[in-house]
Amino acid sequence: MRVLTKEQISLNLVGLAMCMALAAWWYWQSTGVQAVPALIEQLHDPDPSTRIVAADWLGDIGPKATAAVPSLLVLATKDSVQHANTTAAAALRHIDLAAARLVMAHYVPFLNVGDIQSRRTAGAVIGELGPVAKPAVPSLIALMHDPDELVRRNVLAALGNIGIPAGEVSNALFAGLRDPSALVRQAAATQLAFAVPLPRERVDEITAMLDQQDAAVSGLLRNALEKTRQGDAARVETFVLMIGQSTGREYALHQLARLGPTAIAAAPILITVLQDDRPMHRYLAVEALSAIGAGGGQTIVALTPLRHDPDPIVRESATDALAAIDSRSPALHNGARESPRVKP
Amino acid sequence: MLSVKGIRLITVVTYWIAILLGPLVPWASLILTDVAVRHVPLAQTLHDFRAHLFAPGYNLFLIGILNTVPFLAFALLALFHLGMSPLEDSVRTRHRFAGIAGAGLAITAVSIWIHVTILLHPDAQGAIAYLFLPVVLLVLLPVGYVVGRLIGILLVQVNTA
Repeated sequence: MRVLTKEQISLNLVGLAMCMALAAWWYWQSTGVQAVPALIEQLHDPDPSTRIVAADWLGDIGPKATAAVPSLLVLATKDSVQHANTTAAAALRHIDLAAARLVMAHYVPFLNVGDIQSRRTAGAVIGELGPVAKPAVPSLIALMHDPDELVRRNVLAALGNIGIPAGEVSNALFAGLRDPSALVRQAAATQLAFAVPLPRERVDEITAMLDQQDAAVSGLLRNALEKTRQGDAARVETFVLMIGQSTGREYALHQLARLGPTAIAAAPILITVLQDDRPMHRYLAVEALSAIGAGGGQTIVALTPLRHDPDPIVRESATDALAAIDSRSPALHNGARESPRVKP
Repeated sequence: MLSVKGIRLITVVTYWIAILLGPLVPWASLILTDVAVRHVPLAQTLHDFRAHLFAPGYNLFLIGILNTVPFLAFALLALFHLGMSPLEDSVRTRHRFAGIAGAGLAITAVSIWIHVTILLHPDAQGAIAYLFLPVVLLVLLPVGYVVGRLIGILLVQVNTA
């Protein structure tokens, strides 16, 4: 005779299986799109850290969290805690590009108000919107001579995060390297070291600057120079591989949009991304193709249907890209419009 | 001397306590560390716990599940090893009980110690410890069993003498 009978052991095992099923159901109910209603409630929590965690989580869920857009808009524009504003803005860029643009439109006027804190917050929030805040670039550049160094630092960080148009952004960052404040110079150097590709024609200028900067900024600039040693073709190849992986896709697309014409080899894969489910990916693919320039008739053929994309920001971007390509090579554009649509 | 009903109860209770300890050790360590060391009010700690349970970047639920793996192995060991023990051989049952107790104490103590250490000394690499902890506990499980069983054998010999 044993301590437990076979039936008693089986009963306990069934109990364990039920507990595991209950835990799995609890996990399923509390994550992904199922978590959205509870997270929307948490966006109204009196505790700021709860609101911030909820906003961040909704951003991770992405376009399926559309129901949270109104609450996130309130958090991004009305909350008294800057970290809540920036987190909500960052979440919106992953959920709804048009809502992200509304946040940008809300904060751009604050870049020119007398209150310093409002200008600092506006710069920080616009930066968190990333490439979708491209139309705010001229307003941010205009603020580069603000008397407050934190405003200037936030502006440079924002320009680095937005990253496009690459020419304007890198010019602004180079100007930032000559700022009287070490904090601002460091912000500019950080962007060049980690986010914004260093144009080859600027390499000599940066090398000459190394001895004039303090140790921290020089270290960052050396890092930026180190990146240029890898050829453009190799970098483009790396980003093309990253596009194939869902986790690094947005970063790779953003980098290709920043690289401009040197990323021409990525055009075929960018054309396939124009069919991506995520509006942000389609938007970045359009921006990258636009920055590359006329990538052939196939690019125009692939961009044309995006003038009717469900997302208004993608539509606008595609229309602008087609106009830009048209202005550069009108004959090619007209030829492509007349050609039958080919599946990319 | 324990009755048959008593041994049966100990086996089943050990099994279910082990299953509960899996997620409870990391969760209770977190709550108690916040309250006792960081002096965060209990209500606030519980509120934060609820908000971070499934949140990306915190994933307290996942940490609980990871810690549950070795405790689940221990629970099954207790259920089968102790539950299948022959009632007529009380010495062997006591040896097995000592082994199970040794394994349970070893994994619980090490699990609490590692979780509290991670919480008291937060580090960017702390999450790596959460990944390795189940492996460490699974290795410790047979070691704790052998030590517990040896102690059990010694105690039985001392009592007999």
